[in-house]
Amino acid sequence: MKMSDERLRREERIRLASDNERLSGLRPWLGIVATALSLLAVWMGLVWAPTDAVQGDVYRVIYVHVPTAWLAYLAFVVVFLASIGWLWSRRPWFDALAVASAEIGVLFTGLFIVAGSIWAKPTWGVWWTWDPRLVTTAVMFVMYVGYLLLRGLSTDFERRATRAAVVGVIAVVDIPIVHLSVLWMNSVHQLPTVARIGAGPALDASMGLTLGVSVLAFTFVYVALLVERIDIERHRQARVLETRR
Amino acid sequence: MAEIRAGASGIAPRRILILLALAAAVLVAFVAVQNLASNAVYYLTPTEAKEHHVGPGTPVRLGGLVLPGTLQYDAQSRTLVFAIGDGTTNIAVVGNGAPPALLREGAGAVVEGSFAEDGTFRATSVIAKHDERYAPPSPGKTPEHQTSQ
Repeated sequence: MKMSDERLRREERIRLASDNERLSGLRPWLGIVATALSLLAVWMGLVWAPTDAVQGDVYRVIYVHVPTAWLAYLAFVVVFLASIGWLWSRRPWFDALAVASAEIGVLFTGLFIVAGSIWAKPTWGVWWTWDPRLVTTAVMFVMYVGYLLLRGLSTDFERRATRAAVVGVIAVVDIPIVHLSVLWMNSVHQLPTVARIGAGPALDASMGLTLGVSVLAFTFVYVALLVERIDIERHRQARVLETRR
Repeated sequence: MAEIRAGASGIAPRRILILLALAAAVLVAFVAVQNLASNAVYYLTPTEAKEHHVGPGTPVRLGGLVLPGTLQYDAQSRTLVFAIGDGTTNIAVVGNGAPPALLREGAGAVVEGSFAEDGTFRATSVIAKHDERYAPPSPGKTPEHQTSQ
């Protein structure tokens, strides 16, 4: 066991070095593309897309609300996959991916809830209500904040990664529940606009294109943040592995 | 990697943890799906409220459509009156304060409050529902809802 640990550590140091080399050329471009797409999305969302017949200009919150929701889902599915990856292979890279994605996911879940609240007040008439969609989303937020807290409970690298991974696997269950809550239960929240069952998207083509660009822009922001955060975590891991020798 | 692949069974003990975690996830999902849909009731329809014999004074949420021709708001007394229905049962609702901008006849609404002795619903909060469709206004028309109001 001791011998293989030592070899794993050595392999890790080599991987870390090659990680940095592979990504160093890509990283600035990720930032540039993310920024450019975000600016395009802001212009399309605020200027180019038409106003809505029923809601007027308030509906434009959709261009933030839906992409942040998408990122929350994406980030936590990545946490799930990375957790499986860690449990399967015990490669520290998977743990770095999991914590990076979880932190970004919590950030965007927060923005998702805030954007939803800002949209709800002028349309529904309330900032918050105990609707199934809202409650399941709040549960998702609290669960992944708990996931991050759990990571702070142990300084032992393997133990922390394994405990976190088990939670990362189980917590993913809430994502389909959040998404399907509006179909299963009486809800004040509207049904999905794009992913409709047996029907095409229920929004105007130019609005759909704007939403698509927004989702793409947010996804690039996610990937750019993810790469930076993984890099920070890899350096942290390298320090931990060094001190343990 | 071969030396850390412990056990003759072929599955390393640590990989059993994946199966346990996945099994727990499936179990949690199953319990959630079984119980959420039947127990998490955000609102009752007027017909359900009648069937459950919701008594006067019991806090409850009702959801339905604002019936055409019933929506009245008196700005002087700040009294909001409308009827909410689900196609079978209609209930008269009395509320205080300005209605949400998107509250309109024929559209969905959720009201929080309780029944009075006379069977009317006293709403403490009125929430307007909007649907998932978005489209620009027809040419020459201004949007119905302006944020500046």
